[in-house]
Amino acid sequence: MISLTDINKSYGNNHVLKGVNLNFTPGRIYGFLGDNGAGKTTLFKCIAGLEQYEGEITSNLKPLRNHLGFLPTEPWFFSKITGREYITLVCNARHKKITNIEDKNIFNLPLNQYASTYSTGLKKKLALTALLVQENEYFILDEPFNGIDIQSNIILTEIILRLKQLNKIILLSSHIFSTLSDTCDEIHHLIKAQPIRTIEKPDFTALEQEMKSAILNSSIDKLGLK
Amino acid sequence: MRYHLMLQLSIISRKIKEAGIKPILGYLLAIGLFIVMSELLFHATGFAKYIVCLAALALIFRLNERDRSDFLLSNFGCSGMKKIRIIENITLCAPFITILIIKTHFTESAILLILGIIAAVTPIRTNFYFTIPTPFSRSPFEFTVGFRKTFLLFLFTYFLAIIAIKVNNPNLGLFAMITTFIIPWSYYTKPEDDFYIWVHSDTPNRFLFRKLAIASINVSILSLPILTALLIFFHERHSLILLLFFAGLIFQHTVILAKYSAFPREIGLVEAIFLVLSIYFPPLLLAIIPFFYIKSINKLKLLLK
Repeated sequence: MISLTDINKSYGNNHVLKGVNLNFTPGRIYGFLGDNGAGKTTLFKCIAGLEQYEGEITSNLKPLRNHLGFLPTEPWFFSKITGREYITLVCNARHKKITNIEDKNIFNLPLNQYASTYSTGLKKKLALTALLVQENEYFILDEPFNGIDIQSNIILTEIILRLKQLNKIILLSSHIFSTLSDTCDEIHHLIKAQPIRTIEKPDFTALEQEMKSAILNSSIDKLGLK
Repeated sequence: MRYHLMLQLSIISRKIKEAGIKPILGYLLAIGLFIVMSELLFHATGFAKYIVCLAALALIFRLNERDRSDFLLSNFGCSGMKKIRIIENITLCAPFITILIIKTHFTESAILLILGIIAAVTPIRTNFYFTIPTPFSRSPFEFTVGFRKTFLLFLFTYFLAIIAIKVNNPNLGLFAMITTFIIPWSYYTKPEDDFYIWVHSDTPNRFLFRKLAIASINVSILSLPILTALLIFFHERHSLILLLFFAGLIFQHTVILAKYSAFPREIGLVEAIFLVLSIYFPPLLLAIIPFFYIKSINKLKLLLK
């Protein structure tokens, strides 16, 4: 269980998160949806402890960050570190012994090649593989589907559903609605500095329609396409 | 092109500002530090001219990264990129060339200038897919990455140690051993992404001790061949050899603590001045190490709660 109580986050006068109260229970997948700058990544970073915030975040496993696998939107790698060494690094950091990296290499990554030479998709797959090898209880996946190929997309969806079966807590953001509706039990819709709206699975279709019509009505017409 | 060059100057000024120093003062301090360090270097060893050339070339190669060259090429075209790179390299080499001329090493200064221009017009593709083997794969990342970038320098120090034994010059041997300690300092000058600290399930104290322990083992592995050779061939100076070896370890620790005391910014002029002062007056370490340690713990607490 992870609980967020009255979380506030501002950058100067820019209020990104305002009074966020959420509870996450094991065995459920939580989607996060919102425009660019709505605060999804900031919220994830607050939960991970990578950002300072006002309010309280508690978890049954303490400290939370020791049990959390965090996949950033754009994972960053050192210039001369191989895929294998990256996995070793994050496992060493959590005092996890890893012996059979090859078996865990489900995305067929070129592990002996420098990670910085990987494509965007490969980098994401490497970071994800490392999180899975770490054997975390909680997962934050910030736009995990971005940049990866269709086969890996299918594998990733299956992995997320498998983690749910294993009673993990998974927080997930995506700009592709179908990736959230296929996997999530509930979706939290973030609008900058406004209360978060929670939508349960039966209402996903209505949410998609609502978002589509709101975006299309307000934005495209302004372009004055000729 | 002019705007790009002005922008580079602004970026350097911003970095100095971030270190808490007024840019003009920062430039003056850097010039002063460069003059003092150069004088001390030329006073300490006859190999100073080569070290000056190597330092200048190392800086030039850092500007020659593939992504940077691609950016310049796509925005300024081929001739524009070459012009910018020549101006950058000459500017970067200027202080090193000046010091070589002052010390009457005219040939080396001319070679450095020519190499700087050649490096500017022939960008080196550093992103090739060959992975350099490293003995530090099991404990990434500083020595894993650093060794791959500097392994040629280690070969050079081992070569120097062999020469020292051949010509029976213990001072040259000691210089080679000290260099094996100085090279890894560069592995700790840049801060890592927050993630690489956050990911550790350690307290700040334990995190730091792990970093110090790994660095001690790795730097010992690199300097052990020279240490052993010196103890065998110059055993009458074993006290000095061992003293310098342990001093090297302590300074390695100080550099690591300086890095995390400055986090999330790079080691700045303030930390650099403390480090230089402690090299010339080692008892200062008694105050500097605890100072850096406490500052590091406070910085790390934000990520390792």
